[in-house]
Amino acid sequence: MKRVIVLAAAALLGLAMAQGRTVNLLWSGAITGPTSDVGGPYGAGIEDYCRYANEQKLIPNVTLNCSVRDDQYQNPITQRIFEEALDRAKPAIYLGYSTGAMLQLKPLINEVKIPTIPASAHIGLIEPPNNQYMFLPVSSYSEQVVALMEYINRTSKNAKIALVVNPSPFGRAVVDHARRAAQRLGQTIVDVREVGGGNLDNTALLRAFDAAGVEFIIHQNVAGPVANILKDAKRLGLDRKIKQMGAVYTGGADLIRLAGDAAEGYLWASSYYTLDENTPGINLQKQLAARYNRSADILNQLHCWDAGCGYCSGGHAPGCPAL
Amino acid sequence: MRNPWAQTGNYRTSYEQDTSIFANYREAVSVALLLVALCILPMFLERSQVLVLNFILIYAIAVLGLNITTGYAGLISVGQAAFMGVGAYTVALSAPSLPFWLTVPLGGFAAAITGFIVGIPSLRVKHLYLALATLAFQEIFVWVVGRSPALAQGAAIPVEMRNFLGLEISFRNHNYFWYYVILFVLVLVVIAWRNLLRGKYGRALIAVRDNDRAADAMGMDPGRTKLMAFALGAFYGGVAGGLLAYMQRAVVVEEFTLGRSVALLAMAIVGGLGTVVGSILGPAFIEFLRLYVERLSEWMKSNAFIQSITPAGVDVASALLPLSFGLVIVLFLVFEPRGLYNWWRLVRSYFRNWPFRY
Repeated sequence: MKRVIVLAAAALLGLAMAQGRTVNLLWSGAITGPTSDVGGPYGAGIEDYCRYANEQKLIPNVTLNCSVRDDQYQNPITQRIFEEALDRAKPAIYLGYSTGAMLQLKPLINEVKIPTIPASAHIGLIEPPNNQYMFLPVSSYSEQVVALMEYINRTSKNAKIALVVNPSPFGRAVVDHARRAAQRLGQTIVDVREVGGGNLDNTALLRAFDAAGVEFIIHQNVAGPVANILKDAKRLGLDRKIKQMGAVYTGGADLIRLAGDAAEGYLWASSYYTLDENTPGINLQKQLAARYNRSADILNQLHCWDAGCGYCSGGHAPGCPAL
Repeated sequence: MRNPWAQTGNYRTSYEQDTSIFANYREAVSVALLLVALCILPMFLERSQVLVLNFILIYAIAVLGLNITTGYAGLISVGQAAFMGVGAYTVALSAPSLPFWLTVPLGGFAAAITGFIVGIPSLRVKHLYLALATLAFQEIFVWVVGRSPALAQGAAIPVEMRNFLGLEISFRNHNYFWYYVILFVLVLVVIAWRNLLRGKYGRALIAVRDNDRAADAMGMDPGRTKLMAFALGAFYGGVAGGLLAYMQRAVVVEEFTLGRSVALLAMAIVGGLGTVVGSILGPAFIEFLRLYVERLSEWMKSNAFIQSITPAGVDVASALLPLSFGLVIVLFLVFEPRGLYNWWRLVRSYFRNWPFRY
């Protein structure tokens, strides 16, 4: 079914190319409000890539009309923006953002048949029901965590693992899949802790893990809380005893900036190239940032930029993850 | 007898007249005309505009409830969103087996029971301490939902209704259908609100708010009154949450966090605490403010001149929205603590006396 939808979208684009017309694309995300440190650069990436695509005429006879809207990380606003777009300039593709809003909009998206690529990689978005029009451009959070567990299994059999997850649907998404993977791999999930921002002292958490014989901590979180745990582990001398690793939003430039030396040895599962890699997509990213006078902070949110170019070019831009 | 249509003021001479729902015929006709206008309004609006109205009406129901607890009984509550959540999750769990006209009141009753329990600390503590107790409930609610597999750990539970009495409900008419349902419910709860407050229970709420010991000395039961205020306020919240669940087609815990509770309190303050009109004007004002500031922000972003005069790296347009919200609430608290209701009262009295000044 999904293949048919992708083919239909490609056919529509082909038709648009033949006729020389405007194709509407909608992005909504948190330019302000919670997670705007990620959402702002993401929106900027979409704006820039659309501008670039139109200037360079990357799609012959097609002008992209990219609407970038701020939903302030509020589900009612996301719903309004999406419905406004349906009323006024029906988008060919909708690029969504937060886990909660995307899960909430899932039935509506399925009903109106708009192919949607969310920034969230929550596995529930592509699970039935109402999943025909949801596409994850990268591996899901659950797959990333399971991949880390499989990696652990290659180096250490019957490992004792603790999960530290964000106190939200985004964080909890991985727990069930991790438990099933642990059963399959003969590992033990010793503890699952929910840790959000403001975890300024993690001594008790780390001591408890140590006492329980935890060998590995897997994080499904954002960089801030992970950085604090890494720094505390280093302070307590547990950084060599307990190996830490995590899924996409736990790592990257943010983690290095926040954790400094304590990030040494942290293993990061990511579907994206990093800014210091020499790939055509990353180079294009740097080129666009220079062309449109974007700050280094925006450029550093590399995964957003990659997802941005993935969006506009159907996931086949060099350096971007394939769909 | 005076001509009732020529009244220029209230000439109440009996207790029954004093407790009437409408002060005079003109007021009754005005409300009827307003209802007719509200009924035909969606005919001139797009689906997404009706969606905005739906949110306003739902928040109005929740704010009405908050106005019973906080506005009338004087019990500060920052847990109204959690009561909405109790209603929404009750609806989500019961919707597969019950029709919506049963699930929504059921959500209200579930919230009322929760409100009764949450109100128990109000028998012992007041003011900021009580606010902290309701804050604790708000956080406990989110914590419990997040750890309950039966509630999808806070992720989405679909709430779909595809058919009502043979009418197929699809994307095309979803917002319109729920607009009329929500409007009908709002009218019912407003009537119930007015009915409550013109009776002895309503007066007991005010008496307990002003001085609970004096109210006790006069034969009222402050404890029972406070618990009733919490339960009733929560019932309104639960009904609003149930309607929100249907309107949004799914329930996620992010809709019922502390931020929403604070927003509801802000709507009540901006509208005017303890008034029906304020309970509707407050949500309308905040939602329209959001819309227009959003447009202004988008215009600023697309305006080359404004972009050229703002310092590099400072996104003034994006900062406009949170800035304007904070500013509006502070300005209302400082300059118009009685809220928009007071402006409404002044405008109404001007036209009532027109062409005379007094």
